[in-house]
Amino acid sequence: MFLKMIKNDFSRKKIITLTVFVFITMAVLLGASATNIVANLVQSMSELQKHAVPADITQMHAGEYNQGEIDQFTEKHREHIEMQETMFLLTLDGRNIHFGNNQTMAGTVQDISFVVQNKKFDFILDLNNEKLDVKEGFVAVPIYFMEQYDLNVGDTIRVKSGEYEKLFVISDYARDFEMNSSLTSSKRFVINQKDYNEMLATEAGELEYLIEFKLHENGDAQAVQTAYIEAGLPANGPTVGGKIFLLFNAMSDAAVGMVIILISILLIIIASLCIRLTFLATMEEDLREIGVMKAIGLSRKDIKNVYLNKYRIMSVAAGIIGYLFSFVLVNLFNGNMRLYLSSDLSGNLKYLLSLLAPLFVYFMIVMYTRKILKRIDKISAVEALRSDILKHEKSRKYSFPLLKNKFLPVHIYMGFRDVGKRSKLYMLLFLIYVVCTFIIILPLNMYNTMNSPEFSTYMGIGKSDMRIDLRRTDTITEDFKKLQEELINDSEIEKYAAYITSSYKVKNAEGSWDYMNIETGDFSVFPLHYLEGRAPVGEGEIALSYANASKDGLNKKVGKEVIVEVGGTEKSLTVSGIYQDITNGGKTAKAHPSLGINEEAILWYIVSLDVAGGADIREKMGYYQNTYDSAQVNDIEEYTKQTLGNIIAVIIAVLITALFLKMLLSKDMSQIAIIKSLGLTSQNVKHQYMAGTLLVLVFGIIFGVLASNYLGEFLVSMAMSTMGAAKIELVSIAWQTWLLCPIALMLVVGYTVSVCCKVTETDDLSVVLRS
Amino acid sequence: MSNILVARNINKKVPLGKDNELHILKNVNLEIEEGEFISVMGPSGSGKSTLLYNISSMDRITSGSVEFKGSEISKRNEEELAKMRLKNMGFIFQDINLLKNLSVIDNMMFPALVSKDADKNAVNQKARKLLEMTGIEKLADNNITQGSGGQLQRVGICRALINDPDIIFGDEPTGALDSKATEEIMSILADVNQNGTTVMLVTHDAKVAAKTERILLMKDGNLVAEKKLGKYTAKHDDIKEREESLMKWLVEKGF
Repeated sequence: MFLKMIKNDFSRKKIITLTVFVFITMAVLLGASATNIVANLVQSMSELQKHAVPADITQMHAGEYNQGEIDQFTEKHREHIEMQETMFLLTLDGRNIHFGNNQTMAGTVQDISFVVQNKKFDFILDLNNEKLDVKEGFVAVPIYFMEQYDLNVGDTIRVKSGEYEKLFVISDYARDFEMNSSLTSSKRFVINQKDYNEMLATEAGELEYLIEFKLHENGDAQAVQTAYIEAGLPANGPTVGGKIFLLFNAMSDAAVGMVIILISILLIIIASLCIRLTFLATMEEDLREIGVMKAIGLSRKDIKNVYLNKYRIMSVAAGIIGYLFSFVLVNLFNGNMRLYLSSDLSGNLKYLLSLLAPLFVYFMIVMYTRKILKRIDKISAVEALRSDILKHEKSRKYSFPLLKNKFLPVHIYMGFRDVGKRSKLYMLLFLIYVVCTFIIILPLNMYNTMNSPEFSTYMGIGKSDMRIDLRRTDTITEDFKKLQEELINDSEIEKYAAYITSSYKVKNAEGSWDYMNIETGDFSVFPLHYLEGRAPVGEGEIALSYANASKDGLNKKVGKEVIVEVGGTEKSLTVSGIYQDITNGGKTAKAHPSLGINEEAILWYIVSLDVAGGADIREKMGYYQNTYDSAQVNDIEEYTKQTLGNIIAVIIAVLITALFLKMLLSKDMSQIAIIKSLGLTSQNVKHQYMAGTLLVLVFGIIFGVLASNYLGEFLVSMAMSTMGAAKIELVSIAWQTWLLCPIALMLVVGYTVSVCCKVTETDDLSVVLRS
Repeated sequence: MSNILVARNINKKVPLGKDNELHILKNVNLEIEEGEFISVMGPSGSGKSTLLYNISSMDRITSGSVEFKGSEISKRNEEELAKMRLKNMGFIFQDINLLKNLSVIDNMMFPALVSKDADKNAVNQKARKLLEMTGIEKLADNNITQGSGGQLQRVGICRALINDPDIIFGDEPTGALDSKATEEIMSILADVNQNGTTVMLVTHDAKVAAKTERILLMKDGNLVAEKKLGKYTAKHDDIKEREESLMKWLVEKGF
């Protein structure tokens, strides 16, 4: 009997039921896909880690190198270090690598190096996670480049550098745990020992070293790192902990998973709102039914079950469909993982973990429905049958009388006052519009922020036309001097400032010494936006990056003292300001040149410059061969994500508007017939509903924009604070935010209303009036 | 007197399932004179209300023609018909059909305020006068949920009168009311008619019909007979006599 009632209810409210069902299914589908991705990620990461045996500490170095010293150090710290191995890298410029039709890899932001497979650990693997064993004349190319340049196994690359020239056949993809990710700026090509020796003999590339340590399970990485630097061992480059590679590898897939989980949660909210809307819109009708059921003696529990079972059945069906289809959908997202982490994603964890999504959605929907159904408890049979009484009780002071309307046509005014009269019903629509606007505006703002010149401020860089980086070469100091001389004499350069970054010992919060990269130079030439305080302009002043100033770093505020060791003496510096920086792990500092330079620990030089008016920046850039590594690398990706967000938002707006109007119109059909019998046209009715809906939309857009500008900014800042930028100010372009987006949404929603209102165009009014 | 409404050979068919249709009005011919007070009687399902809605432009006839004030209206478009209902016609329903979210006076004023050049003060004054006339002035600013059936039907009549229509159509306006309320409503309608407005009612109630000038009898979609009782005035006519005469006629006609 109950089943029959549910069946009837389904067929009576086909469209409404279908829409709610679609939302629940989508929520499960996306939720299950996201958990599936996470499960795959966890399993494939651990699998990859097992085969690749990554180093726990990797010290990069260029210059003098003595293996004997390293061996001594290793022996001395045997309690921590299990294995040590140094990988020799021959670094080449992208333009030295030719492929396809006279193409080269010039212009890549990645450092390219040729290496031989390690013997003990940090293995570079093939796509089956087997240790690569490259034969003479062959090369294994990093996945990043295979993808970037559309290379295939069997293709050839030609390495040309000075006198050296050799053709290699690509035998494998190189899956490199440590340098897979595009976030890691180096990539390793694996070749045979003989080919390597030949390359080395002809001085085909710059020699660099990866001094790697594999620690015991309980080894203390921090202790080894500090001891290493104290021992004065080769450290002419950054030190990288093992965890960072894990993070980099997981980052892009984890981000995809997070985004999908967020969309899924959003869909659960929308489905819940739809259910609430259904209840609110059909309550009057259902109340009579409830009354009849109560009158014939059904218990409260039975009545609730009629309604609850409907949503239980829907959630179970949606759960099964969503769960099963998630395995199809997930393949769309897994391509990246299959390539970079593990070709075999057949682990069992995903089946269990992604089961969480349908269960979660089921409980959310049932709980929510229960909450709504609570009101059934409060109504007696008579009250339910005579819903007039209910209204009588609730009758409040009469608001929005028709005579108050001074300017609008009466049907438009009726549309507006309806929003006020039935605010509860319209509130749901309002919330949906807020969410939709938020989904559109936030990515738009993020995109605009990343493309704005101010974005450099989050990278700890003052705004300038151009930036030249000099890093890790033996001739770095001479190059730097030469460059400065040239810049002084270049009339096309308006102004420039040179910065030197070197490593210093700094006293940490616990009183022991840590190493910190400090950049010295004149920071007034290209001013940076400081979160607090100002640039270090006087002697004894230092500015800290947000991550360095935070509790996890030195835990210092503006005005506090920082002790830095320079040339064997301790200097006390005052924190003059705190700035945001998402580069170099977020932990950087800037000091007045009077601090002095740690000559032996210079890491890199940077020259920022503004080109004089009339000069061609691109030409200058070409000339100085600089690498201004900006965030714009991600342009295309960001843009596609944003378009996708827009489409989803518009689809949600259309679907919910259609659903809402469908319910509202079927509820109002008799009232519409009355209005039409009095002499209003279908056109008037359409305008009435359009006025109400668009009014709600306007408010939704206003709140949505404000939410994305303020709440969105807060959320983005929270997410970015772990990376070193605590206060992102989103750039919102007014005409896009306040004109383009609202007009687009209003056109779409308006059209939807107009289509939905077609149902009011009936030839025979009496059919509705008399029913 | 000239005719205000003339229906010629009107037919109304509605689809019944996929292949069938229901023929509700069968070649009905009807003429209503200006200022007439007319009622339509007949058994349930005979097509009384359908006739009322089809000649009043609320529904579309399947074939035939309807002339209102000398011009054909059955071919007019929705906008023209809506305008005509607004300006020239008033409707009263058994279910009263007031707009839920409007107060009593706003319900009444609504049709008057639809026209762009409506003088709001004049409309308000007129509405209050009508309320006074029908004896429900105290209800003016109340919610419609706060009135009785009889009171609300008076609101319905006031709404029908607000634009000074040429004709008022009533579909069983007293169908849901007790005898006292019925009498009050009929007395108001009689006054309205006295002032020159044509009134056409559909009713089951012989007592109601006895107060109208001409009674039409419908059966199976046809107008089968009519009886003229002449204008009723409480002063001069004995209502009992009219009722008896009508009852006798109805029995004769097999109703």
